[in-house]
Amino acid sequence: MSGAPSLAQRAPSRNLVQFALRLREAGVVAFLVLLGLTFGLMNERFLTIQNLTIVASSAAILAIAACAQAVVLITRNLDVSVGSMMGLVAYLTADWAANHPAITPLEVALIALAIGAALGGVNGLLVAYGKAPALVATLGTMSLYRGFTYIYAHGQEVTSSRVPRWMLTSVDARIAGVPALVIVAIVVVAAVAWFLYAFPLGRRIYAVGSNPLAAWFFGLRAERVTLFAYMLCGVLSGVAGLLYAARVGTVTVVLASGWELSSLAAAVIGGVSVSGGSGTVVGAALGAVVLATIDNGLVLLHVAEFWRMFIQGAAIVAAVAVDALIAEAIRRAAGGRTGR
Amino acid sequence: MTEPRPPMREPIMTLKGVSKSFGPVRALEDVSFELYPGSIHGLVGENGAGKSTLVRIITGLEQADQGEVLLSGQRVRFRTPIEARAHGVAAVYQDPKLFAHLSIAENIAMGAYPANALGMVDRRGMIESARSHLVRLGSDLDPRRTVAGLSVAEHQFVEIARALSFDVRVLILDEPTSALTPTEAEHLFDVMRALKQRGKAIIFITHRLEEIEALCDEVTVLRDRRRVATLPRAQFDRAKLVRLMVGRPLETLFSRRERLDFGMEMLRVEHLSLEGVFADVSFSVRAGEIVGLGGLVGAGRTEIAQALFGVTPPTAGDVYLKGDKVAPNSPRQMLSKGLAYLPEDRDSDGLIMPETVTHNITLPILATLSRWSVINRLRERAVAVEAAEAYNVLTPSVEAIVASLSGGNRQKVAFAKWLATDPAVLLLDEPTHGVDIGSKAQVHAMIAQLADRGLAVVLISSDLPELLAVSDRILVVAEGVLVAEFTRGEATQETVMSAAAQQSGRKRR
Repeated sequence: MSGAPSLAQRAPSRNLVQFALRLREAGVVAFLVLLGLTFGLMNERFLTIQNLTIVASSAAILAIAACAQAVVLITRNLDVSVGSMMGLVAYLTADWAANHPAITPLEVALIALAIGAALGGVNGLLVAYGKAPALVATLGTMSLYRGFTYIYAHGQEVTSSRVPRWMLTSVDARIAGVPALVIVAIVVVAAVAWFLYAFPLGRRIYAVGSNPLAAWFFGLRAERVTLFAYMLCGVLSGVAGLLYAARVGTVTVVLASGWELSSLAAAVIGGVSVSGGSGTVVGAALGAVVLATIDNGLVLLHVAEFWRMFIQGAAIVAAVAVDALIAEAIRRAAGGRTGR
Repeated sequence: MTEPRPPMREPIMTLKGVSKSFGPVRALEDVSFELYPGSIHGLVGENGAGKSTLVRIITGLEQADQGEVLLSGQRVRFRTPIEARAHGVAAVYQDPKLFAHLSIAENIAMGAYPANALGMVDRRGMIESARSHLVRLGSDLDPRRTVAGLSVAEHQFVEIARALSFDVRVLILDEPTSALTPTEAEHLFDVMRALKQRGKAIIFITHRLEEIEALCDEVTVLRDRRRVATLPRAQFDRAKLVRLMVGRPLETLFSRRERLDFGMEMLRVEHLSLEGVFADVSFSVRAGEIVGLGGLVGAGRTEIAQALFGVTPPTAGDVYLKGDKVAPNSPRQMLSKGLAYLPEDRDSDGLIMPETVTHNITLPILATLSRWSVINRLRERAVAVEAAEAYNVLTPSVEAIVASLSGGNRQKVAFAKWLATDPAVLLLDEPTHGVDIGSKAQVHAMIAQLADRGLAVVLISSDLPELLAVSDRILVVAEGVLVAEFTRGEATQETVMSAAAQQSGRKRR
């Protein structure tokens, strides 16, 4: 009755927090529409079916890589070896296929997934059980995997003439006018999104990232969950690497260098929190579309290459700033009980 | 022949001689009591009496060094809270631990999701079950809401709903009401009574003795890490509990200072408030005076001190230092105005452990020891040596690493560090926490010496005998409000404790 604030009123920003969390993906979509309209107004070639198909195709593989990165980010970790995993999987798979011309598509896919799972598993063991900081551990494997690719390749590349013909044609195929690559990406992202949303293990990935201390109190085996997230990241990187190899045809040892950064950028722009526990793989995929749109639009507008890097960086910084603001609002609303 | 006594009720849980040490510090000594199904067992004691340690041992967060816990006559030793839960033992802690990004329903179900034939989470079932558990607690929270943004009370209800979603036999509630409004607390009490009717055993920890009186069938009092009494309802009342909780003689080690001639007013605080934490706090401290701030842990004393020091700037009210109005904004600003604060957790907040004594002492005054931004090493060392001698820091040299010193000596370094800034007002937050008895007396002497030199001192201490011995005047804070003021003559352990355990009425509208 004194009029003094009660603890029930201690969370003034609660509605704002809920709102912000829900609207993250919607915000990315809104930004995308705005970006599209801007480019469309500045260049009439941008909003053509032909050009949008190009954007979608170039976003497809990055969407899968961003999805891989997002799974690990949600557990409050990080994987900077995504690009190296893509490169190693692409090289080993293409090389194997080149030496076994009778290989079936299913076998190729299985090899790629298995290698990806193994590489991701190494990362997961280091981080979850070795208790190595995620950045340092995966920075190490980033060099390790890329270095192994060099050693294995002896400076050779797998040329497009050596890999089975179907590998190259299948990614360029179109189903009802939509590139097969785009359909594969949508299916993969949807499957991972569904898994994270609907299955207990998927929910635990969010729980572990949201509050590791609470996860321990709740009896969740955080190490196992983290290991699994890294393996899933490896598998998805494998898929992305294989698609990349099929798309470019000739697999070099530097394939997908720098993709660790692009995947991270896409995930963060898509609203996946670097402090764990929130964001969706659909958001990460949308982030990939944003990056592809920026790239495409700037090319059409004849903006110099170095500006593209600058603008991509600015988008990342802006996304991280928004993320930090939301995380701070959550921390305040929870009265510091989220166990940072 | 004596008539055989009627068969006793079988205890569901028995504690036998449970002891626990953390390194050289005894946390719990030889605690035994029995817990019966269909009863509410109160657990009371001053701060640091060992209540939390006991809860942690029962739920498997800590392991007892000695003694055993029997559950339905079987010896159990839980290694994790999950094992405890599997045996029907669950606790709701003071500070709920939940997943902020997930929905209430997911938090309640986490670890035991209802799943359909495909292994998918049955969301509808999960939400309905969460809703029914919440409704039973008299809460109309929407289980689909995200936990981020819930109030403390709402967090608490989600935790309790979670505990009840398992088949609990023993439920431990660690100060569940400290953040609840009267209506919410009444709901909780109804739930506790209903659980009792259903044959559950509840351990109820609270500082509000009237709640113990109203609810408990039995109460166990802990003091100085030991059990001093277990009494059935008929044998206790508030006054008796207070006596049992504080009943220890004033330690003669504490030297009572006799001084009444204080100087000018150094610090005056008027209607200071921090929204949701404390409200309308007014007091003043004069030069040479030691004002004690008494109260329970979590009453808001540390928050008041930190607001004055500018760590969390107050949302309303005025602060005057030496007669000048200041608006606390940052520690840097308040230090320059002559107010210093010694944090409770000196190891993490007050000292840089891997650095030397010298570097710690001179850190706040490096600017004055430097010329053209280059530190004068000779002067730095001289200041450090002088300070270390002045405060009796027992160290092989001022180049010793702070982490290698004992608790008492670290505290002295922390003192020396802030006093090097030459403050007029010193806020001390639990300065003897974790300090051994011998060093305690030295710290007390040092506080008295500082006051004699003309500093205005505000002392926060949960150690009642210490507070009574050192302070010239005692203010008691309860639930964020100054509820009582005692002169040296009026203050006794009983009067201070009763004032501290009362409700301020602020949070309980």
